[in-house]
Amino acid sequence: MASELELGLMELSVVKEMTNIGLGNATTALATMTGRSFNMSVPEVESVNLDRIPELLGGSESFCAGIYMTIEGDVSGHIGFLMPWTSVQSLWRMILGAEPSEPSEISEMDASSILEIGNIINSSFLNAISDMTNLTMHATPPLLAVEMSGAILDSIAVEASMNDHVALAIRTLIHDFEGSFEGFFVYIPSLGGLRTLFSSLGIAEAA
Amino acid sequence: MPAVGSAVLVGMADIQVIKHTGQVGCLGLGSCIGLCGFDPVTKVAGVVHIMLPEAFADKSVDKPGKFANTGVPALIDAMVKAGAERSRIIFAMAGGAQVFKFGANADSKLDIGARNAQAVTQILKQLGMRIVGQDIDTGDYTVRTVTSGEKTLCNLKG
Repeated sequence: MASELELGLMELSVVKEMTNIGLGNATTALATMTGRSFNMSVPEVESVNLDRIPELLGGSESFCAGIYMTIEGDVSGHIGFLMPWTSVQSLWRMILGAEPSEPSEISEMDASSILEIGNIINSSFLNAISDMTNLTMHATPPLLAVEMSGAILDSIAVEASMNDHVALAIRTLIHDFEGSFEGFFVYIPSLGGLRTLFSSLGIAEAA
Repeated sequence: MPAVGSAVLVGMADIQVIKHTGQVGCLGLGSCIGLCGFDPVTKVAGVVHIMLPEAFADKSVDKPGKFANTGVPALIDAMVKAGAERSRIIFAMAGGAQVFKFGANADSKLDIGARNAQAVTQILKQLGMRIVGQDIDTGDYTVRTVTSGEKTLCNLKG
């Protein structure tokens, strides 16, 4: 089985468009929850080798929170939403009015609020793709990590490598206008899932 | 050979070997294992960045460094090729964490880190190799930067 999938311009632009819609959904959900406005940047879509995923965000030693979900159904895969530590702190301030100053001080309430936010963000992203294609995508309950970004992405890549090989990763940015919040998606459909996705949209399988 | 002061970084599923001087290591280990071998006499050092415990029975192995059962022997072979004496190589390992600690089924799922650590330990034992240092998941949140001296895993030179 090929470990990489060469995406043509057509496939890339379709993925980009889906990501745009998914990201729009996620941004709206985040704004509704926090009562703040957020902006999103045009997603960068890259077909990358699984081994390179830990490098996607650069600075692999920067401290992040990551909410990760496995996706089952027609388009299986993995989705993770990563935020730098200071961004998670901003989120906590917006939602709970206070924030832990150190990762070791994260309470159950802190953890579950971030898990829930991550859950909603990831799910709205997936719903957009599901609506567009009429394919089912079930997300498993979210898991949260507060760690070096490299370690979080490393662990997601390991999970992805257990089944199908990865074909694609998407990097996007949601940020607020004060510069206090930013977050990135890493969406990793399985090779089989991506093929199902493309064929449901009437695009012939990529080379 | 890297320039002085820069380390050879070992990406996922990769194996790198250096000789005499320099640094070799992994950045951002999560559930993966960074296994380092060193021959104190010939000064050959090598690192493999292992992702999974065992190669899949139904798939060919594209990169031996990916799995513990193929990566450990491959690291030893690469080091011997670079001049190391097999029986002298000592090992240290780091990683094997459960990075996703919060969530409804965090305990039951994603235990791949522990399985990785177990597999590497077992394979080294089977091969009669010596582990002199390890830092596998300790359950805390400290960012451990070994190179800056924040934490010394073990001193292979000693």
